[in-house]
Formats: sequence, structure tokens, C-alpha cells
Amino acid sequence: MKKKSFYFEDYPESALIDNNNNSNIVKISLNRVTFLSFIFFSLILIFGIKIIYLSLSPENSFYNNNIEKNFVKKRRDIVDRNGSVLATNVILYDVGVRPKLLKEKEKKNLLIKLGLLFPELDLNKIKRKLNKEDFFSIEKRLTPNEKDQFWLMGNKAFVFDPKPSRIYPQKSLFSHILGQTDDVNKGISGIEKFYDEDLNNKEKINLPLSLTLDSNLQYLIRKELINAELYFHNIGSGAILMDVENGEILSLVSLPDYDLNQRVSISDNIYTNKITLGVYEFGSVFKTFTVAAGLEHKVISPNTIFKNLKNSLTCDKYTITEHDKLPKNLSAEQILIRSSNIGAVRIAQKIGVEKYKDFLNTLGLLDTINFDLEEIGTPLSFRWGKCKLATTSYGHGITTTPLQLARAYAILGNGGYKIEPSILKIETKSLKKKEQVISHKTSNAINLMLRKVVSLNEGTANFANVQGYDVGGKTGTALKYNSKAKLNTFVSLFPASRPRYVLLVMLDEPKPAPNFVYEFPPSERFPNGYKHKGETRNTSGWNTVVVAGKIIEKIGPILAINNLEASTNF
Amino acid sequence: MINQDKWIKSLPKINIKFNEEKNQVDHYRWVNTIPQKNTHNNVAWRYPLVVILFVCGLLFVAVVKNKTRNLEKEIYSLRASNNVIKYNLNQAILDNEVITSPENISRLAKEYLNTDFIYYKKSQIRQLYDDTAIISKLNKKNNNLSTVKLNEKSNNLSTKIKSVIKKKIEKKKTEIRKLQELYSNPQSIPGEVKTQIASKIKEKKIELKNLYSSPKKIITLERTWKWATVQIAKLFLGIPIVPGK
Repeated sequence: MKKKSFYFEDYPESALIDNNNNSNIVKISLNRVTFLSFIFFSLILIFGIKIIYLSLSPENSFYNNNIEKNFVKKRRDIVDRNGSVLATNVILYDVGVRPKLLKEKEKKNLLIKLGLLFPELDLNKIKRKLNKEDFFSIEKRLTPNEKDQFWLMGNKAFVFDPKPSRIYPQKSLFSHILGQTDDVNKGISGIEKFYDEDLNNKEKINLPLSLTLDSNLQYLIRKELINAELYFHNIGSGAILMDVENGEILSLVSLPDYDLNQRVSISDNIYTNKITLGVYEFGSVFKTFTVAAGLEHKVISPNTIFKNLKNSLTCDKYTITEHDKLPKNLSAEQILIRSSNIGAVRIAQKIGVEKYKDFLNTLGLLDTINFDLEEIGTPLSFRWGKCKLATTSYGHGITTTPLQLARAYAILGNGGYKIEPSILKIETKSLKKKEQVISHKTSNAINLMLRKVVSLNEGTANFANVQGYDVGGKTGTALKYNSKAKLNTFVSLFPASRPRYVLLVMLDEPKPAPNFVYEFPPSERFPNGYKHKGETRNTSGWNTVVVAGKIIEKIGPILAINNLEASTNF
Repeated sequence: MINQDKWIKSLPKINIKFNEEKNQVDHYRWVNTIPQKNTHNNVAWRYPLVVILFVCGLLFVAVVKNKTRNLEKEIYSLRASNNVIKYNLNQAILDNEVITSPENISRLAKEYLNTDFIYYKKSQIRQLYDDTAIISKLNKKNNNLSTVKLNEKSNNLSTKIKSVIKKKIEKKKTEIRKLQELYSNPQSIPGEVKTQIASKIKEKKIELKNLYSSPKKIITLERTWKWATVQIAKLFLGIPIVPGK
């Protein structure tokens, strides 16, 4: 038997070869595994990332999205000082039609249905558009209920376009203050324009913009002004109620006004904001400033007697006369109470042009006021001279806005501290030290005199003597430029002992009211008061003061002023 | 025979020493040839383990995600209902603002509140309090008003009814007169009858009084009584009952 011999020898090379082979195999297999695992890991990574992305991203539910859209506020609400909503956003719908989606028969059916459900629509116009246009709008700014009526018609050609729209629940009550927004929710007038950026601030979107106004007071004042139109047939009117301590405006009415929800372009001048934009000559209400300037500059005292006051004065081309027959000798106080033009001229002459001008500037009557609205008037500038001083002393030849006039009275009434009228409620009261521009002494003296204008029989504002409210004030009757029409004003401060509020009432072109029954308040001569009819005079005392008296009677209890009469008798 | 030397000599002579050393059995070397636990194999096992763990993690994430998705759905539905409530609240606030606007309140007050409310000034109230004459005057006025109102009431009765009432009153009056006449002759009637007549006079007087105070009521009552008796009689006689007028 042939024996197969074998031997093996360990060559170092063979070992190397062996090792190399093994390592190559391992290397190849490792490469494959790494490649596969790389692909596998990549896939897993992709899916993992997708899973993480899905778990982190919010679910885009159609239902949720649609609902969210309805409640996302695009603009902040505006509320009054009591939290009553004055302006808010709602979703209104525009309804359009795509005629291409309708057959001829369907078009006819659609017209019949529209005619039945919405008789106010112009069907002929719609019929024309159905045959001509690719898309047209039927109705705009529909409420959800009105939109549902269209929707329930079940027509595929209807297209509903939801739009956030601004609505004003108080309608025309604050029309001159709030202003309006355009179709893209941008403020175009009033507060809506002035605070447009603030109203669109997304961070504060759920916080309403609070105003200092009071809906109830605004309503009562507006109502009385509307009633006044019935008696005095004035073409317009305005009123402002302001807190004399901080300048917060509680009410600002300008008539005629308009419903903010009815979007119409208002171009007639009669619709301007008479209180902030209107610049007028106010007449005798300026006498208060003349007397106050005299007192402040210590040129006069309340008891300074002016002797031999003439009935008329001539300065250049101007002839200055008295409105009534007045005594020849009058004290400074009596000049204000009886509203003597000549007396006011004499006081102004004693003060001098520069001092008088400075005093009016101190009260902010001659510059443009800083206010929360863009509709702000600028007083007309003029050259000061001796005659100008004479006419301005009793409020002629000098113009300002009712807002500035009210502020000047507020400064006189609050002890002489400068205030800035504001319509925006600021919760955190600024610790800024009040700037005193007029002395307490002058302020107190003026308050006393203004009270006498109302309370004394010879005063011009007896009808505003509302029992318990201690009203003080000054009347002003002025002729409008180049016209015989009048502008009657009454600025009141109450309670006069320590004024809290200033109320300015203004009637534009009032007429005498012979059919109106004037009720005189109780006096020493007539303890129960008396009634008077057939009056033909058309001065502030016979119309504006009556309206102001009625307003104070109504708003007094709301303002919660301590009714002096009530507190002493009950 | 194999010549060993020949073969041995054929071997390369280089590094004889080394070869000698090398030809010695190196047990370590042989040991190394035994398949050992491969370090490469260890690496290969680690990968699947990681993959398995990762897949398990993924599955776990998927399960958790599924659960959270359900929760999310619930949250979304709650948020949606919250939104609906918010929307309704907004609408309600808006409605409230419109309803409670001063304009609307004064309109409603005009429509529904008592219009008799008169606005008195403080001075007027004081005067009323002091002056009793005014109060008595007012009372008198009120009395006059009530009599006027009564007259108006009686005027409202139709003339037909009025004539019926008039006849009734006259009838009652004659009856009372006759009874009084009888009562005034005590000799002609016995004592028992006399008391009966007296009670009858009293009854008739009461009826007369009622006629004066509420004439309509008596007529309607009488009519209904008559109608009722006729219906009962019809019922007994078998005549069909006609529904009341």
C-alpha cells in the first residue's frame, strides 16, 4: 500500500498568507455589514427624524384651523372707562358668484331664489353680471346669519369670503372719537388711526384699549344736545366733560354725528369734530381769562372799581358796545358777572399786551394742543396790537378750539395746575409733579366769581343753577365770521367750591325759542321759581345755559358729586 | 531508500539557526490556530444589538406617539370646543353690549316702565310734604277721577242691557212696594207670614242693591241659570243638547 506521506511545515510566509486571507475576508464582510448598516441606519435616521418632526409639530386639523381663524383677533377692542365695548372685531362675509359653474337653467333658478330670499337685491344687475362676468360680488359685510341664508340655498357657485370687520355696538355715540377702519382693518380716522399701531400690537391683542370716556354720560349729554336742537333749531352742537384734576375726558360729543357701522364717506364740513378740530371765536368766555390775568398780575382785585364805564368804545375800525344797559361803575367781579365788554377792555388795558398774551399762552389757548386724535385744530394766528388787545379781552378776534378752552377753564378751576387732556386711560398714574402755572389765590377768586355768574340774579347763567351742584360758569355769545349766525357757549365748573369737572356746551347757530318754557330756579324773589315763555333773545344765557343746566341735572348723580342740598336736608 | 541527507541538503541553508529554532514546536502558535472567539465577530454582533435596540426604541416611540396622538386629538377637540365657547362668549358679550347700551335701555324703559312716574325736583317734594292742602286737593281730584271712571264704566254697557236692567229694577221696586204695603197692614195677615214678608223684603232689597252695584253680573248669572235649566229639561225629555252660546 502506498502510503501517502505528508508533511507540513510552518513557513512564516504561509502564516502571513493565512493571516492576510482571514483579514481580507473579515474586511470584506465588515465592509458589507457597514454598508448595509449604513443604509439601514440612514433609513432609520430619516424615519426617526420624520417621527420626531411629526411628534413635535402641531397637528394641522382642518376643523381646528377653521375654528382658530374665527377667533384670532386682528385688532384690539376699544372699551370705555367702565369696560363697555366701544369697538370690536367680528367675522363678516362677502358673498360672490362664479357664473361659470352654473348652467342656464340654474342661473334662472338662482335668480328666482335670490328674488324670494333677498328682495332688496337688484336682480337685473345680477342677471347682467351672471351672463358677462367670471366672478362678481353679490353682498358685502354679511352677518353669519345672513351668510347662512345664502349657504342654505345650496348653490355651488357661491363663494364666501370671511373678513374680520370692525363693529361699533354704540353706533353713533362715539363716532367723532373712535373713527373708522378701512377694508384691511387699518385705522383711517379718530382713535382707530391715532392708535393704529397700538391696536394692531399682537402682544397686547387680548388686552382692550381703555378710554376715559363713559358711555352713560356720553349718552345723556348727547341726548340733551339732540333735544336742544328741537327747541333752538341749531345746526350743530358740541359738549365736552373733563376731569379738572387729571384732564381725563369723560364725554366728548359733536353733533351731527353718524353711525360708524354704516360705512359711508363723510365729506360735509358739518360732520367735523367741533370740539377738537373746530376753531372758533367764543366771545365773552374769554373775559374770565382777562379778569384772571388781572388778578394774577396783581393789576386788579375782585373789588377794584372801574368808574365811568362808557356804553361804547371805538378802536381803529372796531366799535365796542355793551350787550345790555349796565351800571357806569362796576367792580372787577361785577364786570365778569354782568359780562361787561367795556369793563373787560379796561382791565386788559391795565394788564398790557405782553402780559396778557403770556397769560393766554400759559393757559395753552394759542398753540396747537397735543391730543389723542389727529383731528386737531390750530388757533388762527394774528398780530397783537392795542385794538387786538381790546377785542381779545372780551373774546373777539381770537380763536381757539373748544378742547383748549375747556382745558384753560380746568386749569383756572383746579388751583392753577397745568393739565393735558387725555382720552386714553392710563392705569398707573404718573408721579410727575404737577406744574403750577396760576396761583391758588387767583384760582379761588375766579371760582367764586364764576359761581356768582350762575347764582346771582344779575348773572348771565341763572338757568344752570342746579340745586345742590354748586355750578359756576361763564357764558359766551359770538357772531360767526361774515355771518349774522351765532355761536353760543357756556363753560361751567362744578362744584364751584372745589371744582371737579369742567363742562363746555356749545350750540352752533341757535335760534330764539319763543315757544320754549323757561323754568327759573328758586331765588329770593321767587322761592319756588317761575316759568317764562315767549323769549326772543338769542344769547348764550337763553339757550346754552339751559342745555348745560339740564345736562348737569342728569349727569350729576352719576358723577356722584356730594349733593350739598341732599346732604343737608336728608 | 530515501537519502535523507540529499533532501536535507536540498533545503536552503540560510538561517539554519533560525530554522532550527523555528522548527521547534511552538505550542503557542498551534494554540493560535484554534478558532478563537473572534474579535471581528464581536463587532458584528454589536451592530445588530444596537439596531434591535434602535428598532425597539422606534417601536416604543411609535406606540407612545400613537398614545400621544390620541391625547393630542382630545386636546384639539377640547381646544376646538373651547374656541366655540369663546366665540359664543364673544357673541354674548357683543349682544350684551348692544342690549345694555344706554340708547337701548332708555328705549326699553320708555316702552315698558311705568309711564305714571313723574320727575319731581327736590324743592317740589319738600313743598308737598309741608302743604297738607295740596294733598287734600289731590285726594279730591282722585275721588272725582274715580266717579268719572264709574260713570264711564256704566256707559260702556249696551243700551239693550241697560233697558233690561231698568225693567228688572222697576220690577223689584214694585215687588218691594207691594210687600211693604202688605207688611203695613198687620191686621190682615198672621204673625208668621209677617216675618216671612219681612225676610222677603230684605231679600228683594239685597237683590236690588246687587242690581245697582253689578248689573251685568246678575243678568249673565240669570241667563246662565236659565240656560242650564233648559238644558237639563232637554236632557230629561231626550232632546239633543245644543252647545251653549
